[in-house]
Amino acid sequence: MGRPDVSLSVDHLAPAAASLPGDGAPGQALVPALERPPLAAPWPHRHLLDVDVLSWPEIELVMQTTDAMGEVLRRPIPRVPALRGRSVTILFYEASTRTRVSFEVAAKNLSADVVNIAAQSSSVSKGESLVDTIRTVEALGADMLVMRHAVSGAPHLAAEYFSGSVLNGGDGWHAHPSQALLDLYTLRQHLPGGSLRGRKIAIVGDILHSRVARSNIWTLTAAGADLWLCGPATLLRGFESWAAAWRTPAVPGAPAPRGFHVTSDISAALRDADVVMALRIQRERQAGGLLPSMREYAARFGITRERLAAASPEVLVMHPGPMNEGVEIAPDVAVGPGSLITEQVTNGVAVRMAVLYLLAGATETRRG
Amino acid sequence: MADRARSTAAAIPGGLGQLVAELEISRAWLVDPAAGREGPGEIVVRDGVLEAITWLEGDEAAGITPAGVIVAPGFIDLHAHFREPGFEDAETVATGSAAAAHGGFTTVCLMPNTSPPIDNAGTLGAVRAAAAASGSPIAILVYGTVSAGRAGEALAALGELADAGAAGFSDDGAPVRSAEVMRNALLYAGMFGLPVIDHPEDPGLTVGAEAHEGLVATILGLKGWPSAAEEAAVARDIAILADVLLSEPRARLHLTHLSVAGSIELVRRARLAGLPVTCDVTPHHMALSDEWLAGARGFAWESAAGATDPWRGGSATARAYDTSLKVNPPLRRPADAAACLAGLLDGTVDAIATDHAPHTAVGKDVEFGLAANGISGIETALGLALEAVVAGRLPLIRAIELLTTGPARVLGARLGRPVGLAEGGPADLVVFDAADRWRIDEASLRSRGKNSPLLGRDLPGRVLATIAAGRLAWADPELGAQE
Amino acid sequence: MSSRQIMTPDEVRRATTRISHEIVEKQAGTEGLVLVGIQRRGVPLARRIAASIAEHEGVDVPVGALDITFYRDDLSLVAQQPIVKGTDIPFDLNDATVVLVDDVLYTGRTIRAAMDALVDFGRPRAIRLAVLVDRGHRELPIRADHVGKNVPTSREELVRVHLAETDGEDSVDIERRAPTPAGGPR
Repeated sequence: MGRPDVSLSVDHLAPAAASLPGDGAPGQALVPALERPPLAAPWPHRHLLDVDVLSWPEIELVMQTTDAMGEVLRRPIPRVPALRGRSVTILFYEASTRTRVSFEVAAKNLSADVVNIAAQSSSVSKGESLVDTIRTVEALGADMLVMRHAVSGAPHLAAEYFSGSVLNGGDGWHAHPSQALLDLYTLRQHLPGGSLRGRKIAIVGDILHSRVARSNIWTLTAAGADLWLCGPATLLRGFESWAAAWRTPAVPGAPAPRGFHVTSDISAALRDADVVMALRIQRERQAGGLLPSMREYAARFGITRERLAAASPEVLVMHPGPMNEGVEIAPDVAVGPGSLITEQVTNGVAVRMAVLYLLAGATETRRG
Repeated sequence: MADRARSTAAAIPGGLGQLVAELEISRAWLVDPAAGREGPGEIVVRDGVLEAITWLEGDEAAGITPAGVIVAPGFIDLHAHFREPGFEDAETVATGSAAAAHGGFTTVCLMPNTSPPIDNAGTLGAVRAAAAASGSPIAILVYGTVSAGRAGEALAALGELADAGAAGFSDDGAPVRSAEVMRNALLYAGMFGLPVIDHPEDPGLTVGAEAHEGLVATILGLKGWPSAAEEAAVARDIAILADVLLSEPRARLHLTHLSVAGSIELVRRARLAGLPVTCDVTPHHMALSDEWLAGARGFAWESAAGATDPWRGGSATARAYDTSLKVNPPLRRPADAAACLAGLLDGTVDAIATDHAPHTAVGKDVEFGLAANGISGIETALGLALEAVVAGRLPLIRAIELLTTGPARVLGARLGRPVGLAEGGPADLVVFDAADRWRIDEASLRSRGKNSPLLGRDLPGRVLATIAAGRLAWADPELGAQE
Repeated sequence: MSSRQIMTPDEVRRATTRISHEIVEKQAGTEGLVLVGIQRRGVPLARRIAASIAEHEGVDVPVGALDITFYRDDLSLVAQQPIVKGTDIPFDLNDATVVLVDDVLYTGRTIRAAMDALVDFGRPRAIRLAVLVDRGHRELPIRADHVGKNVPTSREELVRVHLAETDGEDSVDIERRAPTPAGGPR
């Protein structure tokens, strides 16, 4: 399946390009207008494996649908029958309570039938191959599959064998599309005018192993943010080349579309930052020789009140969770003013409802 | 098949495995790197002997071009895995030989990373017996391991293996980790004038590595395989060789499947300094790149040098994470493929070797990081080389050299026969139609290993006939072989 | 495609006023009455009815907006018309008499979906339906309590309601379009 020409990965956001509705242009309010122009073509995506295949209008559509889902969640009975009769299987190969439950709640709120498989307890742990598991899931009637896996590209393999929709709930270091979308949604609700354009956003932590960072790079730069990635040099490997590649225009002479900064200088990253997103540091990185110790990481890169003093006075703080409080983020910062961490969780359900809804529509069309 | 081919090559009397009773190929393009010559010509094979070669000139030569039927010496593959003993699900000596013949190869050198590994005369003998029992006329040469059990600690029975006919020694699949073992192996093997073939990789830098460390791996979230891991190993081996030569001037080093620009440059400098180091490059490292992992499907020489990004410009047309692309060493950047091609052109690289690595679906139909490494490539080597020729990147005669006289030079006396289109000797040649494309798919591949990234594509150079030591090893089904 | 007007701006205004009187008459007052407009054009219609009631009864009846996008029984429409316009019901529906307001009543499926949605908000005492145009061709046992105009139509025709709030002017038109091929989407 090829990538459409207007995906985030193409330089259509260069200043020379026409401004697209809702791209957060200065002065444009975010409150969903009744007359937002529709997508030029039907929602084309049967799967959501990476976030870089989405065009900006498609991202706008996800944001609007999330608004509607948010309203549903505020009702006395937070349920709509949109996915009634559909079967959603949640297949998580990595232990993760919060995201797995978030997807389950989202699917149930849409009245889907949900089957939740935690790989440790099933025949998967006895060595059943992924392909066999997918075939079994399909034979049991699943229409949609939400997958999390420790190996990058696993959902892409699943999509080859599954006739319904595959929603990537996180694969290895590669992508976490629903997280990037809920991060974007959360920020648009808090930044003035709902616009990220020109806002300095610092992502701090283990960038190398982070699918959250990779997916956010696509969405935040597409939204026009001034994105900074920061962490110890051992955990930034390869990203300067990525940033350098993006600084090069695809067509000679065209303006460079967008880039991001990569630095191990925490002060530079946080200075005047409007948003700081902390990423979890895992103990395995120390064991793997990439870090001397967690203590050293916390001392040099931990997000504390003192460090945040250099950021903007209204700095917003985010974390995809789960947190290592006291390591990458100080406990008082996690619950302090400007922290959007709990909202990220709530918005997560709404965003996942929106994505499940949109994907279901695409599969339905295919069934004719 | 092109009518031209039909008119040029008659049905071949005698079946597969039999002496070719009579074969006449008129109006073909002959390429003989041994004589340093190519051009219009005709050949006649009778009772397995290459009876006559006629080089045509003037009016007789009119209309005969390299864009048609070509006759060349049978190809020699310095590096293939036929998986027997131990992994016969993926390939056997018999099926591998059939695949080799389909690819135009008449001599194949087998790597010893079997189960059990070929670290003693007995196992080597068993493999040679399997070759004899297969009935295929393809000449099978076998390398012994460098270390006992391929464990990298003690030397294998190198002398015994040499006596039993080993063509060289290699722990391929893995590098020789210990510099000391490498040094001792070079010294000891030097006594027999046999090369040590190293798979250059610093394993400390490649733990869990999945794809070339670069933009594509970063964006796809795959663990990087740094260029330095190969370059450091190449530099180490060359330095050790230089030392060893002082004690044993017959020591020889062959570096296999080089993939990065830095490695090619190190070999170039070593050669200029007169060191007896040879090397090979695989067809996939010459023609493909890591962009294929992102879903791009253009040949490496089509990418603009340097600033390439398969996510822009819509060059990604296939799905990402295709495990048929997972190989050791990994597919590298287009600039590295270009450096390999430059090395092939200027003589730094002696041979194209396929590193034919068949795998079953069980090994490959899994998540990318868990997939076995290897490309089934012995049947597509000629096609990829011809794509480079067609694209103007490689002269035809140089491509044939890299598949014939180049590898012959590396093997030296162990090859046991002359290479070239010489009158009077047993016919050992390949006939293919450069203009006739064939579809690569599971049915057309003769190898048990269908793990090729080229499935579904066409390649030029349909092999019409392969004759090894005077016997018919392969005939295109449309061409037919008369009993 | 030809188009003819079947309601002028004045006719729209009179119909709306009459409906507002009928609603109050049926309720014998405004006690417990709420109006819920179905997105999109049912919403401005509901507001106009509420304004009219305020004018002749002096009471502000609560008005809400209901988006039935998530209640459609046909998900294949999601790909083509995925835009959601928003639900806003800022009052308690329990024990209320809800008057659903829509511009055109056709197959009845939209109203069925709207009733499904309302039930998720609470338990109304009664649900009634007011529409500007009833064009027939019901596929479900649904009928309107208050109708602005009954307009017999054929399936090849399209009823277009324009309102000043959404389209700049008030008008109801019928368009005749090319016959849809058998089995085509409706």
